[in-house]
Amino acid sequence: MKVSFFPGCSLEGTAREYGESIDSVCRGLGIELEELKDWTCCGASSAHSTNEFLSIALPARNLARAERMKQDLITPCAACFSRLRTTAEALTGSKKQGVKIPFNNDISVLHILEFLLKNEFTEKIQEKIKKPLTGLKAVSYYGCLLARPPKITKEEHWEDPKGLDALMTRLGAESIYWPYKTECCGGSLVLTNLEIEHRLVGRILDMAVEAEADCIVTACPLCQSNIDTREEEIGAARGMTYDLPIFYFTELMGLAFGSKDTDTWFKRHIIDPRPLLQSKGLM
Amino acid sequence: MNASNEHKDNPVGAVMVVGAGIGGIQASLDLAESGFRVYLVDEESAIGGSMAQLDKTFPTNDCSMCIISPKLVEVGRHLNIDILSYAEIEKLEGSAGNFTVQVKQKPRFVDLDKCTGCGDCAEVCPVEIQNEFDAGLINRKAVYKRYPQAIPNAFAIDKRGTSPCKDACPAGIHVQGYVALIAQSKFKEALALIRKNNPLPAICGRICTHPCETACTRGKIDEPVNIMGLKRFVTDWEYGQEEPEIPSVEEQRDEKIGIVGSGPAGLSAAFYLALEGYQVTVFEALPEPGGMLRWGIPDYRLPGSILDKDIQYIQKLGVEIITDTLIGPGHSIDALFKEGFKAVFLSVGAQKSMRLKIAGEDLQGVVHGVDYLKEINAGKDLPLGDRVAVIGGGNVAIDVVRTALRKGSKEAFIIYRRSRNEMPALDEEIIEAEEEGVKINYLMAPQRIIGIDGRVSGMECIRMELGEPDESGRQRPVPIEGSQITIDVDSVVPAIGQSIDLSFLPEKQDWNISARGNLTVDPVTFATSVPRVFAGGDMISGPATVVEAVGAGREAAISISRFLNGFDLSEGRGTKLPVAEFNPGEITKEPRRNPLKTPFSERIKSFQEVQQALTEEKSIAEAKRCLDCGVCSECLQCVEACLAKAVYHDMLEKQITVNVGSIILAPGFSLTDPNIREEYGYKHYQNVVTSLEFERILSASGPYQGHVKRPSDLTDPERIAWIQCAGSRDISYGKGYCSSVCCMYATKEAIIAKEHAAQVKPTIFYMDIRAHGKGFDTYYERARDEYGVRYIRCQVSKIVERPKSKNLMITYISEENKVVEEEFDLIILSMGMSPSLNSRMLADKLDIALDHYGFCQTDPLQPTATSRPGIYVCGAFEAPKDIPETVSQASGASAAASEIVAEARGTLVRTEKFPPERDIAGEDPKIGVFVCHCGINIGGIVDVPAVKEYARTLPGVSYVDENLYTCSQDTQTKMKEIIQEHGLNRVVVASCSPRTHEPLFQATIREAGLNRYLFEMANIRDQCSWVHMDKKNEATEKAKDLVRMAVASAGFLVPLQEQTLPVNKKALVIGGGASGATSALGLANQGFDVLLLEKEKQLGGNLHLLHYTIDNTDVQTYMHSLIEQVRINPSIQVILDGVIVDTTGFKGNFKTGIMSGPGMAYRQIEHGVTIIATGGEEYKPKEYLYGEDKRVVTQQELEEIIAFKRFDLRNTKTVVMIQCVGSRNDEHPYCSRLCCSAAIKNALKIKALDPEINIYILYRDIRTYGLLEDYYTKARGAGIIFIRYDLERKPEVSIEQGALKISVYDPALGEQVNMHVQLLVLSTAIIPRENDELSTLMKLQRTREGFFLEAHMKLRPVDFATDGIFLCGLAHSPKPLPESLSQAAAAVSRACTLLSHDSITVGGMVAVVDQEKCAACLNCVRVCPYNVPFINENSVAQIDAAQCQGCGSCTAECPGKAIQLMQATDKQILAKAGALFDICKN
Repeated sequence: MKVSFFPGCSLEGTAREYGESIDSVCRGLGIELEELKDWTCCGASSAHSTNEFLSIALPARNLARAERMKQDLITPCAACFSRLRTTAEALTGSKKQGVKIPFNNDISVLHILEFLLKNEFTEKIQEKIKKPLTGLKAVSYYGCLLARPPKITKEEHWEDPKGLDALMTRLGAESIYWPYKTECCGGSLVLTNLEIEHRLVGRILDMAVEAEADCIVTACPLCQSNIDTREEEIGAARGMTYDLPIFYFTELMGLAFGSKDTDTWFKRHIIDPRPLLQSKGLM
Repeated sequence: MNASNEHKDNPVGAVMVVGAGIGGIQASLDLAESGFRVYLVDEESAIGGSMAQLDKTFPTNDCSMCIISPKLVEVGRHLNIDILSYAEIEKLEGSAGNFTVQVKQKPRFVDLDKCTGCGDCAEVCPVEIQNEFDAGLINRKAVYKRYPQAIPNAFAIDKRGTSPCKDACPAGIHVQGYVALIAQSKFKEALALIRKNNPLPAICGRICTHPCETACTRGKIDEPVNIMGLKRFVTDWEYGQEEPEIPSVEEQRDEKIGIVGSGPAGLSAAFYLALEGYQVTVFEALPEPGGMLRWGIPDYRLPGSILDKDIQYIQKLGVEIITDTLIGPGHSIDALFKEGFKAVFLSVGAQKSMRLKIAGEDLQGVVHGVDYLKEINAGKDLPLGDRVAVIGGGNVAIDVVRTALRKGSKEAFIIYRRSRNEMPALDEEIIEAEEEGVKINYLMAPQRIIGIDGRVSGMECIRMELGEPDESGRQRPVPIEGSQITIDVDSVVPAIGQSIDLSFLPEKQDWNISARGNLTVDPVTFATSVPRVFAGGDMISGPATVVEAVGAGREAAISISRFLNGFDLSEGRGTKLPVAEFNPGEITKEPRRNPLKTPFSERIKSFQEVQQALTEEKSIAEAKRCLDCGVCSECLQCVEACLAKAVYHDMLEKQITVNVGSIILAPGFSLTDPNIREEYGYKHYQNVVTSLEFERILSASGPYQGHVKRPSDLTDPERIAWIQCAGSRDISYGKGYCSSVCCMYATKEAIIAKEHAAQVKPTIFYMDIRAHGKGFDTYYERARDEYGVRYIRCQVSKIVERPKSKNLMITYISEENKVVEEEFDLIILSMGMSPSLNSRMLADKLDIALDHYGFCQTDPLQPTATSRPGIYVCGAFEAPKDIPETVSQASGASAAASEIVAEARGTLVRTEKFPPERDIAGEDPKIGVFVCHCGINIGGIVDVPAVKEYARTLPGVSYVDENLYTCSQDTQTKMKEIIQEHGLNRVVVASCSPRTHEPLFQATIREAGLNRYLFEMANIRDQCSWVHMDKKNEATEKAKDLVRMAVASAGFLVPLQEQTLPVNKKALVIGGGASGATSALGLANQGFDVLLLEKEKQLGGNLHLLHYTIDNTDVQTYMHSLIEQVRINPSIQVILDGVIVDTTGFKGNFKTGIMSGPGMAYRQIEHGVTIIATGGEEYKPKEYLYGEDKRVVTQQELEEIIAFKRFDLRNTKTVVMIQCVGSRNDEHPYCSRLCCSAAIKNALKIKALDPEINIYILYRDIRTYGLLEDYYTKARGAGIIFIRYDLERKPEVSIEQGALKISVYDPALGEQVNMHVQLLVLSTAIIPRENDELSTLMKLQRTREGFFLEAHMKLRPVDFATDGIFLCGLAHSPKPLPESLSQAAAAVSRACTLLSHDSITVGGMVAVVDQEKCAACLNCVRVCPYNVPFINENSVAQIDAAQCQGCGSCTAECPGKAIQLMQATDKQILAKAGALFDICKN
């Protein structure tokens, strides 16, 4: 099957391994991702908090292009997803927010996790698993925007989303229930208020350690990089060491599918996950 | 009431009450006591509803169970209440006054008349499921009593339906049952259960096709339970014992029955007929019995020795098997009848091999499958050569190919025309064959067998492909043109099926034979078309499975037995419960345990059995994988255990049709689903529990015996938090209403938790504390100040569990506006009330309207009437409410429901009739002692025969007996005969508790002609065998002590005479406001005369000051209509401008003096009851410049201003309202309940006049309880601003340059707010009207606030402690109009329970004064809680029997020993004590 793909800015930079693992997994599942032609910024980082018109107009442009391609639009980033969905909602009905871009809401906008959790892939994923992630204890981290607000995400369990956990279990990992699934990582304050950001990331790390998880699994390039890059300095500030690898869920899918490229993905992480995976016999 | 008049001429004197919680119970008791027959319908197995689950009740901290259980007993024993438990309304026809209701009653599987509630069944029940009464915290058995005090006091069996395994079993084996028994290591019982449906367990434990496993629900999750392996395990276990126990045959019969054929069908029929006692002979043509089991199945699957064991078991039961005897032309069926056989069962099987019908089939080297197996099983050798082709895909083909390998063929393979998917052979058989090296050629069919010299040399086959499905549903194989191949073979074994040979049947008879050549029989009874001949097995079905044949044999045996007894063959057969379907939810996966197999390298060398048995350990573990699909496993252990023979597993659903005049709905509520707020982690966090769970945790009869423990680790929690409004006051979940009770129950739970465990530090997170009921605010303040309960005003948005400690973190904003994170050990979600799904369905069936939340819609002025005439409502189904309001509304509903059928009062009631009492004067005590075994409850611990023999030695005892169950109906009859026969004049029963059983035994002796007080009871169960279970000897000694004491006391029993007094049927109602007028009208409509006394010169009271209700009902119109109705009612006499000046008498017979009119004329009236409705009034404030500045008014005054259109719209910019003026302070420490909604009502009115007017409501807690919360939400939506203030920082009102200035500290802003207003409205307290004199005159108790005090805050909200006097309205406590009206109706209902009787019986167990001894010291007068004793004209104390409640307080206090309490006289108590201590000295 073929779908449109809106990679967003991170996949070019901090989240290259996310993009590559998405490619690998989708190819394995027979999904063709067609990158949205001439895509532009989704408006997440600054537009939506500074200019209401831009916050709708920027994603609207992308949506309109996607609609012309007549296939569903998939995005890997929770922030992109939130902006695109919010805009799609906003452009439906009478209130067009002053935006004149033609968009009829004829396509679905899906986050890549939501997309891969569709029933039609369940069996295929099961078939693809060559190396179950036995012994890997993971906490699933959805962050703010993947599940909320429910009227945008249409998530049934917005306080306690379950999809990523279920996927981890299916891959053979031990998915640990923890209370911080949707806790804020402070990603949006990275540039403005490091103190709060450190506190929030620190809480998440502490809880993952207390839950005796080996790693945190994410589905958002902002969450991943925000936690991964801060572990060392937060640890140093507190006089301790955090060494929890932060995975993109597609990396773990790739690992379970027996992808040969995992090493290239993992070596780009700040907290190197390879020692952990080797100790579990998964690499 | 707006009842239809359609049936007014023919009303029915019965009422149906739906829902048997406290509301339904109260309504039922009121109605039954008022002369109506009541049908009390409840969906549970026992009555009691939610209240029975609670631990304590606020604000009195009474034990909930202790106060409800006497009511349960009363309902259970009431002659005119029929309890229909496990039932629901199915259909309703007719109209008000005359309804026909169809009720569906679930089978209980326990006969209510026989069950004694002893619980022996639950002891042996192997199935455990979550105990819903204990909120799922612990388990109960599938056979259960909802709770120990349950009424009906009987067990019930929980069945979800037939378990899929049993349903799938052609023999109908109780599969889930024997699996459950194996899980409990009850192997013998498991096997006995299997044999109830299958006498060949060892065989079926090996070669069954086990459709049960295919159906197993577990298979949908991981793998099916290894049911066959379990069956084999128990048979191997038994056959490994010395000698299996053979079941006993109850009655031997003379009838001879012949069975033709000794295969599984024949053996099965033989077994079940022999079990019935018939003389059974089996005729077998071959030299050994067993049929296909012996000749068709190789030893490596079913060893001959195992077959022999099952057959020997059957023979031991008396079945005779005659071998080498062919029934056919030589020895015909007719001949059997002539030889004296009464019936014949044919089961000759399907023996003839089907032919391939291709060329070469007669060559040497072609041998048919069954023939081959028969030869080998007979011990002969039949070499097939090196290459063997077996044709076919069934089990026979597999058996042949594997046998051939064992017999030395080098290459044996299968040729099958379809694919693996269609192959009928069992999967495991195919796998084993493949393990042994068998090759299967799929999609291939033989076309011709090639021979050389008359001997097989090869075979031509053709490849096939699958085409369209055929009639069997499988795809039809179609040959592929030109794909022929030839293979070399030494022999060919066709195994494509068997056919039936009916040539043995006598031709002259009229056999019904199908087109396919099978004998046709009735599918249920297995009767053939020839009389007295039955048939079953393969000869009927064509080649099928062993278990089908077994089932057929058993069914035929039942038919034959019925036939010989002259019963209908098919009646009641072929019906069973629907299959239990359920979603087991999240369960732990666990792999199936499979038996070990002999390694294939070894097994192909011999006929040694391939599969080995499961070990005992593995079997038990495997059995525990069962999911109990049917809940009850039908293991039938309860049937064995029940000595009263009360269990019937074949009970069916019942349809009951009853005729009633009206219906009361009291279905209660269901707890709001705690999962709607996922952020509280209810399912995932073990230490987050619901308030109901915590009630059970606190309860002494709960899962932790009342110890405060938390679920995760059963440790004692210290830091406990309550989160209020969890699922209430939350529009995002569709629960916009306030649940009304949670603030108070959380407070109570905090207090009780603290009382149970001093270390507890309770914290309650709340939005507003809603302590709006009588005595609630004081209770809340006590919790805060005396118990140290911390109240934090904050809505908690999330709970976080610490993964290791399972402690919980709450983040909240403190009063100081600081973010605080605090850790707790246990969190309780104060869940609200929701209308239950069942009540919505009920409303649908009855076609009554619901509100937008699903509560029953009512009119504020008719608070118990539903939208359908003749159907009334009470309790939490109407709106969330607590117990007293429910009880009072229940009485109100019962008044409404009985009013429309008042004419039919007494037409359908049952009355007791007793023989005359025997005069025992002058007789020496002749005491009969009956000692009860209570099944094994007492008998299993206490040596009952020894106690009985001991009782024989006691003085005065002239008869002793022991009973299995003294309370059973047959024993009661026997007891009556014994009392009469032996002339007994005192009776002692040593059994369970007088609480439940004393009235029953008293009735029994009364029926035997004895005075009911000549009875004494010794509690040797609850107080002996139950508490000393592990000390049998000591328990026996204690039982003797208890019996000795009871006998000693019984010697002093005297008959007590009860006195009958007439009832004056007139009522006096004091107070002519809304409540009093409504009461008067209600009583008049019930057919009683009323005198309505009003102090003022006009009726109406506070109604004159009310203009509109919060929902905009016009009060003035209502008032005028009410007064007019009263005025024209001929039964009501109104006295205005009158007061009471004296009163005497007691219930049924009061005399009251009244002075009235301008001249204060005196008159005395006689009446049977009194209703106090003296009302209340608005407090006139002294504070906030009231009376000093005319811009300061009360809410009542504001209402008048608005109503008379005097509101100054032009100049009013800002209005401020101050709540709690004169309420909740030192002077009036209570909440006036209606001021919050009055303020909102008036504020919304002003906003409607002009939305631009700013309105500020300064409040302490907004108490818009229940559905009133909607108006609070609406008010905030309308822009009305609410500012909270504390008692410490009250608003300040001043005049600043002529302007009215209000200054208040706003905690939300953290700043002082100043406002200039044009109108200040004070929401003032409600205080009782002057009632000092009345309370003194009538000796009525009041609260310290001056409101009248009811007999019991929870359960007797409109009764006074003095019988015959009732109260309602504001005289009771502040409340809004609808609640007053409902209470007024309640008072009517309560009054009717007295007025509807012509006479009352008084006396019995009452205090009696010996006038000679009385010194008139006044001790009794002071101590009596009911104000009964008084000093009479002879200057001695007098206690009227009609008023005495028998509590004994005066008896204990009287220094002169002048007062004796009958039935507990000093003599009796001393005798008891003496009997105990005299012996102790020895």
